[in-house]
Amino acid sequence: MQEPSGDIRGERTDAVESRPDGSESRRGFLEHAAGVTMAGGLTAGYGMLVSHAVRFLYPSETDPGSWQFVCTLDDLQPGDSMPFTTPAGAKLVVARQAEDPAQDDAFIALSSVCPHLGCKVHWEANNERFFCPCHNGAFDAQGNPIAGPPKAAGQSLTRFPLRIEGNLLMVWVPGTGISEVISETNA
Amino acid sequence: MSRLNAWIQERIPVHGDQLRELTNEPVPNHLKRWWFALGGTPAYLFVVQVVTGILLAFYYQSSPSAAWESVRYITEDARYGWYIRSLHKWAATLMIASVILHQMRVYFTAAYRRPRELNWVIGMCLLMCTLLTGFTGYSLVFEQLSYWGATVAANISDAVPVIGSFGKQMLLAGDTYNERTLPRFYILHAAVLPTTIILLMAVHITFIRLHGVTELHFEDESPDEPDHFNFFPDHLLTELTIGLVLMILLSALATVLPATMGPRANPLVTPEVIKPEWFFYVSFRWLKLFSLSVAVISTGFIIAAMFVWPWIDRLLIRLTRNEDASVYVGIVATFLLIGLTVWEAVVTH
Repeated sequence: MQEPSGDIRGERTDAVESRPDGSESRRGFLEHAAGVTMAGGLTAGYGMLVSHAVRFLYPSETDPGSWQFVCTLDDLQPGDSMPFTTPAGAKLVVARQAEDPAQDDAFIALSSVCPHLGCKVHWEANNERFFCPCHNGAFDAQGNPIAGPPKAAGQSLTRFPLRIEGNLLMVWVPGTGISEVISETNA
Repeated sequence: MSRLNAWIQERIPVHGDQLRELTNEPVPNHLKRWWFALGGTPAYLFVVQVVTGILLAFYYQSSPSAAWESVRYITEDARYGWYIRSLHKWAATLMIASVILHQMRVYFTAAYRRPRELNWVIGMCLLMCTLLTGFTGYSLVFEQLSYWGATVAANISDAVPVIGSFGKQMLLAGDTYNERTLPRFYILHAAVLPTTIILLMAVHITFIRLHGVTELHFEDESPDEPDHFNFFPDHLLTELTIGLVLMILLSALATVLPATMGPRANPLVTPEVIKPEWFFYVSFRWLKLFSLSVAVISTGFIIAAMFVWPWIDRLLIRLTRNEDASVYVGIVATFLLIGLTVWEAVVTH
């Protein structure tokens, strides 16, 4: 019986690998193409999995927030301030700074979250300042930075957006937070 | 007996000689001094952490409404719970301390120099993973420090240019700490980071075997003595002795200074005095000294410089023509590290 010509195991020989002019043979080209296709397929396939995994881990959109009623305009006289607790439990201070409600900054609502790294500031009556215990940041009554890293970076206390509807003062507050979950279990 | 041996030999075809060949790395003489064997200490403590961590996981619950209570149950009600938890806490403390000491030893003996640069980089990855595991660990207790530490860390991440906001979202699973945050810390602490540490340790040890331990020679060594001794049983016995001393030390610390319960996390009130665990005192003080962007970017540069130190070291030698230039940098850095840590430890704010 005659031996089959060529190599049945697919080993390449010089005769088929390259032509005398140095150009690639058809088999060589096909082997390269198959390799590239395989690598591309694997990269695309597993790349897709990684992409899906990252999207899965990245948080989906949550409740962005809502407008909440604070008080009527008459309840807050110029120079007065009042505390306000959002449904999620965040505390803020709302103050009236001018008689005319139409004036810019007639009302301000200051967040109690320090703009530096997110700790809660508290009002120190004897020093007349908001103080953040995490990194010694301090703010005046209007929320302007007066000491610590917030002063170095020029970061004021965040102001919550306010709007007036007729005679009602409304504040925009962020969506639910963790304090709701905890206070429910405490109750 | 010989039939049993033959049965085993046929199914597990490894011979004693091969095993001895595999484990009997010649160890340089300086490793007879225990302080040169500090690299094995974090590895030993890591095993303690895995064992005690698995035990704690039987009772721990990673939801914000149940976490603190489950840790309180472990600490106060479960039999020997206080001991297991205290071992876990103290082994973490000692692990971080020994990783830092091991790294300082490698640094000051310049063991990271060619051809061992890549193993220094892997060691740096291990340091980062260890610190992250420490951070996620104390977040799980869900006391005030846990909550505010996580909030501060996430906002530090937010200040990192380009990728910071993505990092914060991935860490907290939202803009702020929410009920999906704690399970993330738990999975990172108990699955992702330990697995990464095991893989990195495997590569770290493989590199040590491939390159051999750095040879150090001392003036008081007699030239007649052999340069090396056997890993088995000599060095193994040194490691076992260190392991025994560590276990006694851990038990003593757990008994005398057991882990306690701080006040439960309150998202509405930041405590008047708030500090992270001791190993973050340096960065906490650094954050108080500079504005956020300066502090974050400088910290990033310092960590990046630590990662590529073997190459910076070569540059320094070329520029200063002094082989010991990095030793002086190291002395300054060590004083800074100790100084900032002590400063943060002794003042209230």
